[in-house]
Amino acid sequence: MAITESPTVPSDVAPDVRGPTAPLPAAILVLGIASLVIIAAGIVFSQVNYALSDRVLTRNCIDEEISPEDNGAVGVCNIVEALQDPVTSGALYLGIGLGAVALVLGAATYRRMDSKRRRDQAITGAVLGSQGILLAVFVLWFRSASPGLFAKHFLNFADLEGYWGSFVRAATKTLTLAFGGELGGIMIGLVLGVLTLSSRRVVRAPARIYINFFRGTPLIWQLITGYFMLLFGFGIRISTFVVAILIFALNTGAYAAEVFRAGIQSIERGQMEAARSMGMSYLQAMRYAIVPQAVRRVIPPLMNEFVILIKDTALVSVLGLTLADSDIFSLAREGQSATFNSTFFTVAAIAYLAVTLPLIGLVNAAERRLRSGLVGIAGAGG
Amino acid sequence: MEPAQATGINPRERAGGPLIRLEGIHKWFGNLHVIKGVDLDLQQRDVVVVIGPSGGGKSTLLRCVSLLEEPTLGHVWFEDRDITDIRADLNEVRTHIGMVFQAYNLFPHMTAERNVTLALEKVLKLPSDEAHDRAMDQLARVGMGHKAAAFPGQLSGGQQQRVAIARALAMQPKVMLFDEVTSALDPELVGEVLEVMIRLAGEGMTMMVVTHEMGFAREVGTRMLFLDDGRVGEEGEPKEMFRSPKGDRLRQFLEKVL
Repeated sequence: MAITESPTVPSDVAPDVRGPTAPLPAAILVLGIASLVIIAAGIVFSQVNYALSDRVLTRNCIDEEISPEDNGAVGVCNIVEALQDPVTSGALYLGIGLGAVALVLGAATYRRMDSKRRRDQAITGAVLGSQGILLAVFVLWFRSASPGLFAKHFLNFADLEGYWGSFVRAATKTLTLAFGGELGGIMIGLVLGVLTLSSRRVVRAPARIYINFFRGTPLIWQLITGYFMLLFGFGIRISTFVVAILIFALNTGAYAAEVFRAGIQSIERGQMEAARSMGMSYLQAMRYAIVPQAVRRVIPPLMNEFVILIKDTALVSVLGLTLADSDIFSLAREGQSATFNSTFFTVAAIAYLAVTLPLIGLVNAAERRLRSGLVGIAGAGG
Repeated sequence: MEPAQATGINPRERAGGPLIRLEGIHKWFGNLHVIKGVDLDLQQRDVVVVIGPSGGGKSTLLRCVSLLEEPTLGHVWFEDRDITDIRADLNEVRTHIGMVFQAYNLFPHMTAERNVTLALEKVLKLPSDEAHDRAMDQLARVGMGHKAAAFPGQLSGGQQQRVAIARALAMQPKVMLFDEVTSALDPELVGEVLEVMIRLAGEGMTMMVVTHEMGFAREVGTRMLFLDDGRVGEEGEPKEMFRSPKGDRLRQFLEKVL
């Protein structure tokens, strides 16, 4: 590649040794983009091409024990089959080649670029090239094994007809479990968190024992043991669902306690001193000065705990909920054992994501708001 | 309180006798001996200025007066009550001792006005309209009346410190403690805070001031304490002490800071 221009330099300055400039970084960027685009286009082309042609069950699909009745699997098997298209193969190998060139050129020259923009172009090109290589290799690998078999079990949506309503109901059950657990956990955690901050060991010790126990044993063990302890140990006969909420609350309480403790400790010592110096009692200072500030700081971590709890509620399936009480994961297990179709788990994952992704977005927004420091002002405005 | 009641004199109205008396105060932080036996009487209308090298125990001594730090040894008397006695009602005592901190320590989630009214309502149990009136009076007194609705984050350091002073004054304390209240301020903001303090001293407020502002110490202080390595190195009339320091330590200190 020719070096077409170099910045004008006075003659008494050392010669410019900064190396290749103008056209090269742009070329690297174009190569990287081309690599990804060609690979993607190759895949899309194969699918469209296949869709437009005769779609019959191929030899490969039949070999993988997919019958024409497996509606979903046939579709997926065809998708996989389509990837065998020679045009796709060409696109994949070409993409790998272009990606490799972009990667090598970019990695070799980015340090010598003469402006930040060009350096960024070179780096971006190299990164895109490497992503193209990874994607193509993944597709090549995937089509070389038995993706049809995987598809038959995990992407076969035909058996799920009639279950969609159940999944919606199961999602509300999952949310009820998580919400009930979180609410109870916050109440337990606030009390425990304050207790762990006591200057008296006799007050701290029981709280610490509780927290360490629940943080130190597996939740699945707590569910099983707690359930049978209530049932046999105390003779309390309540529904499994309520027991599960109770145990989630006890468990979350331990984690929430640590969150509250950290939140309260993060408030500057001077705040407590200022409140006390005006004659407020410890509890008044806590209530009016410390806790209102701490609450704002613990909202993001508590929401994080909530997201974790939503996923952890899947563990109730070990207790065997009634069909009407089934949460997402229990329902998926029932469906899978009834049909031997693991696509139920795929749908379960989608159902969990539908609930957790918005929450994760909310946590991030809350953290950003907290970091921007506006909370002290805006939060108190109400 | 017992002996005073026996004579039928309300101790709060009692004239003479120190407002605050420190008796043989020692303070250890772990193995660190910070205050090594300090005695001090604070009379009504006294403006006692405490100066000395950093790490000399000035702030710790001041915080012992309102028992934010508990002296390891010794007694603190407020009027005629031993407030180091475990039975003393510190919350009640502290309503009479205003304290202003180096870091302002305003409550960031409350407006300036709410910062002032909070303790009035929750501690002194004033009705909210009365608390509001008192808060606005005090904010106006420190020139912050126009910022009553502002949050601390919207105020400059000097403005925050003036609100903090108003917050302490609103409790109508009998003594005000100032703990290096200008040390965290940008130089151009020091004046506005000192001005408030000078005015306060002129109005006859009893004050104990830990400061590095030597000009303030000389002009406003009625008495000065040079605290060095946990002991009172020298004590006397400020102008006199500045003019002719007796000990080497004070002379060296003054040479460094002046």
